[in-house]
Amino acid sequence: MRKTTRLKRMLGVLALLVIVGFPKAAAQAEVEVPYDTYNYNYWEDIVKTPAAYTPEGSVGGIDVGTTAFKEPRDFCISEEGEIYVADTGNDRIVVLDGHMTKVNRIIDTFTVNGDEDRFSAPYGVCISENGELFVADSNNARVVVLTPQGEYKRVVKEPKSEILEDDFAFIPLKVTVDYANRIYVISKGAFEGILVFEADGTFSGYFGTIDVKISVWEKFWRRFASKEERSNTQLYIPTEFTGIDVDSEGFIYASNIDSEGKQAVRRLNPQGNDVVQKGENANVGGDIRTGTYGDYSGPSEIVDVVYRNKGMYSILDRKRGRIFTYDKEGNLLYIFGGIGLQDGTFQTPVAIEQNAEEILVLDAGRNVIMKFRETNYGNLINDAVGLRFDGDEKQAIEKWKEVLRLDENNELANNGIGKAYLTAGDNEKAMHYFELGMNKEYYSIAYKRYRNKILADNLGWILTGVIVLIFAGIVINKIKNKKKGINREEGLL
Amino acid sequence: MKNLLSKDKWKFAFHTVSHPADGFYEIRHRDRGSVVVALILVILFSVAWSVNRISAGFIVNDIDPREVDSLSELITVLLFFLLLCVSNWSITCLMDGKGRFKDIVIAIGYSTLPATICIIIGTVLSRFVSEDEAAFYYMVCGVGIAYTLFVMLVGIMTVHNFTLGKTLITLFLTIVALLLIVFIVLLIVDLINQVYSFLYSIYQELLFRA
Repeated sequence: MRKTTRLKRMLGVLALLVIVGFPKAAAQAEVEVPYDTYNYNYWEDIVKTPAAYTPEGSVGGIDVGTTAFKEPRDFCISEEGEIYVADTGNDRIVVLDGHMTKVNRIIDTFTVNGDEDRFSAPYGVCISENGELFVADSNNARVVVLTPQGEYKRVVKEPKSEILEDDFAFIPLKVTVDYANRIYVISKGAFEGILVFEADGTFSGYFGTIDVKISVWEKFWRRFASKEERSNTQLYIPTEFTGIDVDSEGFIYASNIDSEGKQAVRRLNPQGNDVVQKGENANVGGDIRTGTYGDYSGPSEIVDVVYRNKGMYSILDRKRGRIFTYDKEGNLLYIFGGIGLQDGTFQTPVAIEQNAEEILVLDAGRNVIMKFRETNYGNLINDAVGLRFDGDEKQAIEKWKEVLRLDENNELANNGIGKAYLTAGDNEKAMHYFELGMNKEYYSIAYKRYRNKILADNLGWILTGVIVLIFAGIVINKIKNKKKGINREEGLL
Repeated sequence: MKNLLSKDKWKFAFHTVSHPADGFYEIRHRDRGSVVVALILVILFSVAWSVNRISAGFIVNDIDPREVDSLSELITVLLFFLLLCVSNWSITCLMDGKGRFKDIVIAIGYSTLPATICIIIGTVLSRFVSEDEAAFYYMVCGVGIAYTLFVMLVGIMTVHNFTLGKTLITLFLTIVALLLIVFIVLLIVDLINQVYSFLYSIYQELLFRA
């Protein structure tokens, strides 16, 4: 008898487990990705989040009907949607159609003044706004300008200027062009910054130099070091830029490898000053928590940046294969991607681009373009950030609430809702959401308004109360004094 | 016990804090203090500390409330209290201090009272401040802790009948003694660990050989 009840109970528990556990497992299977998706909270702890992007397969040279890519180093997307891949190892530019199903054309030779010319390790590629194709022809020390069809237009030659060192070697790696057709070139070993050329190809100078940071401690030790020791220690040279992109306003986004992992991307204004905004954690350098031992440790090594839209940009980390996306204020929106052999992970990620809703990553180890499609979660965040960028906070609130349904502790979503409530004048709700989003600054604004409102509403009562209390105090004092006086008189008597 | 917890003893704790020199003299020479009250005050201090960490307004509170374990904080505070008392006693014994161990416990225990009160006031206050008014909170807590340190100093000075200079020297030596005790305890723990692992490996070896 007893045994059967026990069995029943066990079965009941099992049934409950199936009912409760199964949908959960199914829901998890839906977003199964071969990498960790996480974010950092206020305490800079790692918080798991739903996946913002899921892998959508990859496209290699053979898939589109040509020979395999060989160490492709860069790619770009034209306004017509064609994808230009700098197939560095094969000395050619491969042009794919927007869906990446077939090759539209291959540019490997072009005619200059009647002579046939070829690329030598074309490292970077870029399409300008008026449809010119710029190829950083690294081993030939030149930037070749072509029509999208591959006809030669002109060439940007090695710069000649007294500000360049005598032994300066021009090895263009990455190239981009802004609205005024100024050409920005990252050259190998050019620590002074990005090389800028005018539209006609004349060199106009360096741009966006990264300052060298020497800590007080290092300075202190250098004072005591002998000349020999000093020459043995590493040189304090600024890091090179690794990737560039240009946004719709003509600002240049440039990535670099930051050994401190604090700032790996710069937003350079036309004067070459960095105007990037850093968010809550004051960090635009990829991973905040990194290990100290092994190959997998150390700060992120950012190799490329892509400006997406509405102030958002993504950076690509070659160390752990992660893609970090920030909004204009420097808040880390989501993280995805990883190093590995599974489909959807990278071996040597080198370049990143956005193609409509997809994020494309070029892998020079696997010689393919990896595709990532946004999930519902990613889409909601992208939309909400976009709406906020446009100033439409009211619309954004709905999106943020959807985000909260998928990711309960999302600080960005809480702050987004809080800001919308604050503009709408609902201070109490704003306070609630700012507290969940750990936003002290905005919480204080909301709280002050809330407190002032309570004070203003009840000022009459409060003042009356104070006056009554003062009056009562005076009366009580008088009565006490009188009693004392009587006692004294009695005592005297 | 009842005598140790009487109303008079409690009242005298407050009197001591407001008149430290006078109060600690009476504690030393007329037994007006109570060890039980001192211990309760230390426990209250620990509770106030944990409450502050858990529920101070988030404007001034950078601590993840999920990480606060009030029980382990209580144990830490009590252990630190014990260590402080023992190390102070061992130093003052050698330096002609007149205070008994009991007096030291009472002096340190009673002196936590202002900090406890101010931390609780601060915690309540912190829920009604904005970011630029947070200075008030820090001021209240700071005053409480500073006054606690002052009372502790006067308490130790009075119960041992020291001059100020000598008290400061003994306090410095107390810290040294404290570190020494911690060092020795760690050494012993490590030693015991090694002996244990040695015996355990012998046991395992025997097990494998057999």
